[in-house]
Amino acid sequence: MDFVKSAFFDFSRNKGRTFLTSLGILIGVLAVVLLTAFGLGLRAYIEQQFKDLGSNLIRVVPGQILKNGSFSNTSSAFMSIQFDEKDVQKLDRIKEVAIVIPVYSRSVIATAAKNKESSTLYASTEGVFIALNLKAEYGRLFTAQDVSKRSKVIVIGPNLAENLFLSRKQAIGQSVKIEGQKYSVIGVVNKKGGGFGGPDFDAFTYMPYKTAYTLNTNKTFMAIILQAKSDKDTKAVIRQAEDVLSKQYDQDEFSVIQQEELLSAINSIFSIINTVLVAIAAISLIVGGIGIMNIMYVTVTERIKEIGIRRALGARKSDILLQFLVASVILSLIGGIAGLSLSYLIVLFIQPFFPAYIDLNSVLLALGVSSAIGIIFGVFPAKKAADLSPIDAIRYE
Amino acid sequence: MIQLKHVWKKYQIDDDVVFTALKDISLILEKGGFSALIGPSGSGKSTLMHIIGLLDKATEGEVLVEGKNIAELSDDQLSTLRNEFVGFVFQQFNLINKLTVQENILLPTTYARKKIEYDPVKRSREIMERFGIAEKANSYPNKISGGQQQRVAIARALIMSPSLILADEPTGNLDTKTGNEIMKLLTQLNKEDNITVLIVTHEQDIAAQTKRKIQIIDGGLV
Repeated sequence: MDFVKSAFFDFSRNKGRTFLTSLGILIGVLAVVLLTAFGLGLRAYIEQQFKDLGSNLIRVVPGQILKNGSFSNTSSAFMSIQFDEKDVQKLDRIKEVAIVIPVYSRSVIATAAKNKESSTLYASTEGVFIALNLKAEYGRLFTAQDVSKRSKVIVIGPNLAENLFLSRKQAIGQSVKIEGQKYSVIGVVNKKGGGFGGPDFDAFTYMPYKTAYTLNTNKTFMAIILQAKSDKDTKAVIRQAEDVLSKQYDQDEFSVIQQEELLSAINSIFSIINTVLVAIAAISLIVGGIGIMNIMYVTVTERIKEIGIRRALGARKSDILLQFLVASVILSLIGGIAGLSLSYLIVLFIQPFFPAYIDLNSVLLALGVSSAIGIIFGVFPAKKAADLSPIDAIRYE
Repeated sequence: MIQLKHVWKKYQIDDDVVFTALKDISLILEKGGFSALIGPSGSGKSTLMHIIGLLDKATEGEVLVEGKNIAELSDDQLSTLRNEFVGFVFQQFNLINKLTVQENILLPTTYARKKIEYDPVKRSREIMERFGIAEKANSYPNKISGGQQQRVAIARALIMSPSLILADEPTGNLDTKTGNEIMKLLTQLNKEDNITVLIVTHEQDIAAQTKRKIQIIDGGLV
């Protein structure tokens, strides 16, 4: 108790010095906590995007994207093959597959009355709405019948609806012109978000894939999404899909991947980048620790007489050691807590724009690391204080 | 209670220069004694007091506390002995200015390793009342008079109920009247509390108030 009070007394008497010394730790903790908060936010954002795309799905895509769980660096990832309806049919014959969803996608210009908007055409089956977790906010979604009858209908995203027709509700029943063809809007889907460099799902145009053959004259697909009948069938579906496709294409011309696999590969890349950044930021913590060591040496010198008095009254070496360790840990913790508080305020301020957040681990880590710095950099000055001879200390003027 | 046998204290000043502060000192302090160690400045009396108070070590000879040779004790054991056995009173008071009067008095109890059988806070209050400094309990040492500071120092020396109080020029920084009051207090502690008291001084009239005078000149007892 006396140690803590004594430490605070010294700090309050030297406010400027205390402030400057803990500033080093403050900046270090601020940098580490903020970078971690941004990393966590980015990860949460990516995970949300994937979740919105629907999880537990298997994607068949051209090129070799993943190799042993991380991104492949072969150029084949960019030399695309394209799938056709035969592939779709073959995949549909796999027993454990529930739905097969071929996807053709490209940028188009959609026109309605005087308004022109760029949009992403997403041509597929009715299954795409299940896979992407989309519901009709107004009107209806297209059906299997619309696909087989090649109905000239489209379902559009809420942003596209607003941009073309002022309101989402008014879009129903209107027609949209895409590359000379007219399509009737039968539905507007719910908002999904997007952006930040990723695709803006709210400006998509969904069309039955057979209807889209007028725009997709090669009748090919960029990707085929499979859904297994149950979770435990997923592995079997992946293996069989690979077997079926390898009869047609080379092993490295296509990938059959699970959503989670891709997510974990992306996550592992981000966590490496984040770890490197945090490690660089942690250097400033070491610099801060050296500042604390410096000040603690000064403090010991200033208090030699006091150390002598305490020793004369019966303090052991370990009592003196502990007293100075407590002081340096408190000094370091002041910086740590201030840095943490400041990061919290900054995160609060940027949260409306970016989903950064501080988790419990960061809080515990920041407090733990600043205590550890207090101990590591305080132990040498404290040892010097403890090892003073009582008689020399008490005679010191 | 304390016995010194042929104690020497030498300081190596240079490669071939040795300063001898204490020469062949043999001395016995009896329990309940009230003695003055008197000598001019530079006579080695403070050095002798530091050795008796276990703050310093003899270069040669033996120091026995209750029959135990302190050369055989570890640093921690010496600390405990200083804590429980000795109470120091210094010329410069040597109070810690950032602690209140009461906290200063209680400081030795925070270093106690044995279980203290009384309530330290209650005892500190009793001592402060006895010494007339009770209303200064929450004041800081630099806000009270020199006489009051020396009373605080004596109270601090007393809190662990020591067997021995060592007072190094306890009146040296005080005017005659206050100095006499402090001497009265130390006399009282010896008489009423049966504590062994050793006062280090260079003033004959201070020494005259004690029961035994130990003269030291040039590091040797006379």
